[in-house]
Amino acid sequence: MPVLKAENVAAALREGSTARLAQDLPARFVCGQRVRVANINPQDHTRIPRYVRGHVGVVDSDQGVFIFPDAHARGEKVAQRLYSVRFTGTELWGPQGKADTAVYVDLFESYLAPQ
Amino acid sequence: MNGAHDLGGMHGFGPINREPDEPVFHAEWERRAFAITLAMGAHGAWNLDMSRYARERMEPGEYLRTSYYEHWLFGLQLLLTEKGFLSEAEIEQRMRDIADETNAGSES
Amino acid sequence: MFVYHAKLTGCRTEVLSKHKHNEPLPETVLRVKALESLLVEKGLVDPAALDELIDTYETRIGPRNGAKVVARAWVDPAYRDRLLSDASAAIAEFGFTGRQGEDMVVVENTPQVHNMVVCTLCSCYPWPVLGLPPVWYKSAPYRARVVAEPRAVLAEFGYTLADDVEIRVWDSTAEVRYLVLPMRPAGTQDLDEELLAELVTRDAMIGTGLPRSPRA
Repeated sequence: MPVLKAENVAAALREGSTARLAQDLPARFVCGQRVRVANINPQDHTRIPRYVRGHVGVVDSDQGVFIFPDAHARGEKVAQRLYSVRFTGTELWGPQGKADTAVYVDLFESYLAPQ
Repeated sequence: MNGAHDLGGMHGFGPINREPDEPVFHAEWERRAFAITLAMGAHGAWNLDMSRYARERMEPGEYLRTSYYEHWLFGLQLLLTEKGFLSEAEIEQRMRDIADETNAGSES
Repeated sequence: MFVYHAKLTGCRTEVLSKHKHNEPLPETVLRVKALESLLVEKGLVDPAALDELIDTYETRIGPRNGAKVVARAWVDPAYRDRLLSDASAAIAEFGFTGRQGEDMVVVENTPQVHNMVVCTLCSCYPWPVLGLPPVWYKSAPYRARVVAEPRAVLAEFGYTLADDVEIRVWDSTAEVRYLVLPMRPAGTQDLDEELLAELVTRDAMIGTGLPRSPRA
């Protein structure tokens, strides 16, 4: 791609570059469904934080279809559905967690399994 | 990867230091590191996930010791050299040249 | 080497150390200069574009954008509904679009729910409405602690919520960017949209604060 020139900066920033894809994919999970996060430890890029791996949450919303970052970091453009998953403080942190706090994490479909 | 960037739930960092009326950038090198990263990103030689993965590959101890734009700078140099835009040798040489010029300037 | 550092960063050195912001190595300053000089020389970077990028985020795009969105949602129920159902489109009505705000979600605070936003893995933040994030948002203590002890973090920022308020922390682990719609402060029924926007702080839209009260 050409060199970014000063006169094109404003338009480039306004335009951005969405990772959302128009492609439709079937949804493996529905809102309200309990899911368990995969316990995987890849040596390369992933967007599953360690603190949710192996934990059980509830699908809060279906965010749509996006570029899957783990593959994208290797230069592959793969479409995958993204969900916002709710975890309670006690699920994540045991006795040190609080039941009146929850963490919502955006997780790709392949990170999740039905519980 | 299980790097130092994956911070959620880690203990021992102490209080959150806030700065009243914080400026957007704290030094000229931060401004330039930020802008060079965005400008080079526009070439399309790498994507945002590659940028993140580059920053994540900083040695964990160094990641925790250094500031945010130093993470960016590390990632930028890694991508520039991996993608063949620059070599480490020419970067090191240019750093020595600039240091020598600066030194000469301050002595005159 | 220290000489270069003092010379190149000038008075900023003092600011950096005062705030315990990790001080850059003199080498860091040199490295940035070397990269810029090489990339400009090879025609890969236009220095005027760098100036334009810096100026955009230093002077034009910042939390005043988000404050306008919040104030509109406070005075216009139809806008609030659009904002909560399709945040990207509703925010684009102001012309606030693009980089790091392509896919927005707005989460609403209520008497029962308080929302907070973080990116534990890096520094994801809704640039078109809030500008670039402050150092604390990108720092290890905030990223490590807010998902585990949000009430303690909020207390550190000076806010204590009632025990029956649920705290929801949104970890921006993908490309969705979150903005908190805070509750409209009491005693503001006579204020117009512009005056209301002045009460909306950056931290209120991250969830580590609340809007200013009109008398404060």
